[in-house]
Amino acid sequence: MASSVTLPPPRTRSVAGSFLGLIPGILLLAIVGYAGKVIEQSIARYGKAHHHVLPNIEYVLWAILIGLAISNTLGVPRLFRAGVATYEFWLKAGIVLLGARFLLGDVLRLGGVSLLLVFIELALALTFMIYLGRGFKLSPKLTTLLAVGSSVCGVSAIIATQGAIDADEDDTSYAIAAILALGALSLFVFPLVGHALHLSDHAYGLWAGLAVDNTAEATAAGALYSDAAGKIAVLAKTCRNAMIGFVVLGFAIYWASKGQAAAVTSKGAFLWRKFPKFVLGFLLISLLASIGFFTRPQLVAVGNLSRWAFLLTFAGVGLRTNLRELGKQGARPFIVGAVGEVVIALITLGLVFGADRWFHL
Amino acid sequence: MTIPTPSRRISLDTWAVFLAIAAALLVRTGILKTVPW
Repeated sequence: MASSVTLPPPRTRSVAGSFLGLIPGILLLAIVGYAGKVIEQSIARYGKAHHHVLPNIEYVLWAILIGLAISNTLGVPRLFRAGVATYEFWLKAGIVLLGARFLLGDVLRLGGVSLLLVFIELALALTFMIYLGRGFKLSPKLTTLLAVGSSVCGVSAIIATQGAIDADEDDTSYAIAAILALGALSLFVFPLVGHALHLSDHAYGLWAGLAVDNTAEATAAGALYSDAAGKIAVLAKTCRNAMIGFVVLGFAIYWASKGQAAAVTSKGAFLWRKFPKFVLGFLLISLLASIGFFTRPQLVAVGNLSRWAFLLTFAGVGLRTNLRELGKQGARPFIVGAVGEVVIALITLGLVFGADRWFHL
Repeated sequence: MTIPTPSRRISLDTWAVFLAIAAALLVRTGILKTVPW
């Protein structure tokens, strides 16, 4: 990581002022997310009252669609933007609380299978993306960012890598835009493919967690299939996230050896800085749930808290996706990202089929 | 202008963990009795 940082601008707002500035956007997240939940329940009630069998479209999709409609028609006014940007915070808090719905034994078993698949996926995806970027004559650092973003952990990995390899901000914006655009597409494509192939909840969740890059989209893609698939998708994605530090460290050392990034002085400190701490929180809550720290009704309550946190997250996924802005980013990085995503999705689908056969997911 | 300084700020990740654990403890201690969904 770069050893120097830009001096912070002079503080013009107090901590309380900054916190108050988040409230309108958080309220917007809550309203959009809750509207999605109301629509889901209203459709179910209507179907029941009129004896119609209507498709059960989860609130996740409604929240994302309402968010997309707002951000791409009216736009998100400046007043709301800071609060809307907190969706990642709610995502991470939701993942920690989700630990209550997993016994540690399940985490270790499924996590072990996921980690094994993550190693294979990482090696194949990184290699493929680097050759693909070279083939399309993208700049080496943009290729690195796209490779990390599509193999490890989407936007977080790209931002972590940008700092570590001193990449251009333009390259970073390109890579993030490509990953976000493809993540938005995967929300609609993955459930369709999963249903077409009659994947089990476990197999689909594992696939979504391994193949969808950004954690918010991976969580949403899983939850769109089923609640159980959503849980597995989060677990698999969390395993991928845990690898972020190692991959970024590898690239940081590579670029430093070429004299194009600051040298890494302490590898342990570097790994700790990049390690997603919510993974530890998730394991802690899962451990507490496994040793009987919570009663059964309390486990239900903690699990429901995680659902409310995800509700805010899914609203944020729609509200921060501006399709016009994504379209402006140019074709080549998007094509590289798209080709890479399709290939990685196919590779991970093959891995999941193999795992399902051998480990009986 | 740049200065060499390590970041000591608590990350967003860590705050999310603190908030989640605090919420779980509110449930455990009975302050938050039920959470409807």
